[in-house]
Amino acid sequence: MKTLILNIERVRRVNETHQHVYLSYDPMLLNLKAGQSLLARVGEVNDPFLREVWHPVQVSKSGAVVERPVTSLYLPSTPVEVIGMIGQPFRYRRTLRAVLLIAYETPPTALLMAIPALLANQVAVTLVLLGSAAAYRTEHLPPEVEVIAGDADFNWSNRVTTVGWADQVFVAVNPADEMTCFRKVWRIFNDIRADIPKAYLFGVFQPIMPCGVGACAACTVKIKGGTALACTQGPAFDLTEMNLS
Amino acid sequence: MTILLTNSAKGALSINTPVMPAAGVFGYGDEYRALIQVEKLGAVVTNPVTYSPWSPTASTRVIPLPAGVLVHTGLPNPGLSKVISAHRNLWSRMPVPVIVHLVVGSPNEAARGAERVDEEDSIAGVEMGIADDIDVKDAADQVRAFVKAGEKPLIVRLPFGATADFAEALIDAGAGAVVLCAPPRGTARDASGRLVSGRLYGGLIKPLVLRLVGQMARRLKAPVIGAGGIMNPQDARDYLEAGAVAVQVDAVTWTNPKMLEVIARDLGGLVVTQPMGALPDEWYPGMGDTERMKRVSDAETPDGERRD
Repeated sequence: MKTLILNIERVRRVNETHQHVYLSYDPMLLNLKAGQSLLARVGEVNDPFLREVWHPVQVSKSGAVVERPVTSLYLPSTPVEVIGMIGQPFRYRRTLRAVLLIAYETPPTALLMAIPALLANQVAVTLVLLGSAAAYRTEHLPPEVEVIAGDADFNWSNRVTTVGWADQVFVAVNPADEMTCFRKVWRIFNDIRADIPKAYLFGVFQPIMPCGVGACAACTVKIKGGTALACTQGPAFDLTEMNLS
Repeated sequence: MTILLTNSAKGALSINTPVMPAAGVFGYGDEYRALIQVEKLGAVVTNPVTYSPWSPTASTRVIPLPAGVLVHTGLPNPGLSKVISAHRNLWSRMPVPVIVHLVVGSPNEAARGAERVDEEDSIAGVEMGIADDIDVKDAADQVRAFVKAGEKPLIVRLPFGATADFAEALIDAGAGAVVLCAPPRGTARDASGRLVSGRLYGGLIKPLVLRLVGQMARRLKAPVIGAGGIMNPQDARDYLEAGAVAVQVDAVTWTNPKMLEVIARDLGGLVVTQPMGALPDEWYPGMGDTERMKRVSDAETPDGERRD
């Protein structure tokens, strides 16, 4: 965990709803893995009051790229103070051939960082955009990613095939009602599959994080036998290990 | 500089720097170890702990507001005994006193909590969170039960809006100091449109609490600790000027962790004793890693090899 001051190098709008903010290089950024994020504050003013969770979508020796909604204005050369890295990397299986990423009623931003590394390791990636997430335009994503749109009732074409074909599934849902949504995800996957093995279906939590270090307990989630913190132990939790009641 | 934090007859608690984190913002002591030098603080106040385990609230926990934030966690914690077991070793190694923030629901719980805490040498004192809607007699009974059953110095954190009479009753019951005060409660709509109640944090709280501190510090027979809306060293100094013996820093620890340390350095007298040629990041945030890098380069030989 470290505080860094980075510069905004470039801002590029990638679709109607999102922009990519290019941050200057720091060696720490190269350690960022899919699932991890940064807590950022632009400038010296506490507006917004809390730091925002910035999800990187790409990291290289020229810096990190984070995806932000176009409703926020970012100007090149503006300094950004970030605390990172927040959270743990996604836990992949050793033998992985196909991964299903699902965004339900939320933009898929929190999932996108996984794509470059998975493709580089010859893993097939399917991105399913459900409900309002279907409005997210994906032309900027690598062409190898299969993108499927579906409705808010978890219906999409070839649903049974894609779920059966995937070795692992990572689901991001509407942060305003995460537990209700994950209960729904669990129910639907239980309908589709005879059983849900461990390390197969992960819920990716996107809570507002006041501290990001596990101090404030605002991102506590219930797991079987206790609680866990999304900021230090998440954001991805195996839904078989969660207490969804 | 030694500051007497409590006037408890059973055992006074003293600190070296009049700055500590408020309950609920700093975890149990080591969460911020990579970002803050804990030894610069006067004490560490833990997250709220209940005698029995509490679960997190099922509703929205955090609602960002224009000038602050509303937080309602439900105070999730595994219970006093488990918290102590998990952190005993850490607390015994802490360079500053550890004050456990205890939330009790009855005099019986207060007494059992006092007995449990008394067994632990690593705990320097207890801060008891007084519920917002409790009447003065019940609150005094809880304090009395704690003091009767235990030996640790007791600080009480008063609810926002508590009167001087309320505070005096708790001091008469045995409280060694009072924290003014718990963050006020508010209600706001979350992203899905539901109304959520919780505690309010932000700079606007400070003027409200500063007035209370100014009024109560003159009247109360016990030390007053100011807490609420501190965003920078000047805010903290204002509390001391109003009569507080120490301050607790809350949400700025989340938004700018280094500021807690800066306030502690500032009020801990380090700035006035700043030696000639001191590196700036000893005193101010955001100045980079000069000090750390200098230490690293000092430890290196000219050809880049480490001496050890």
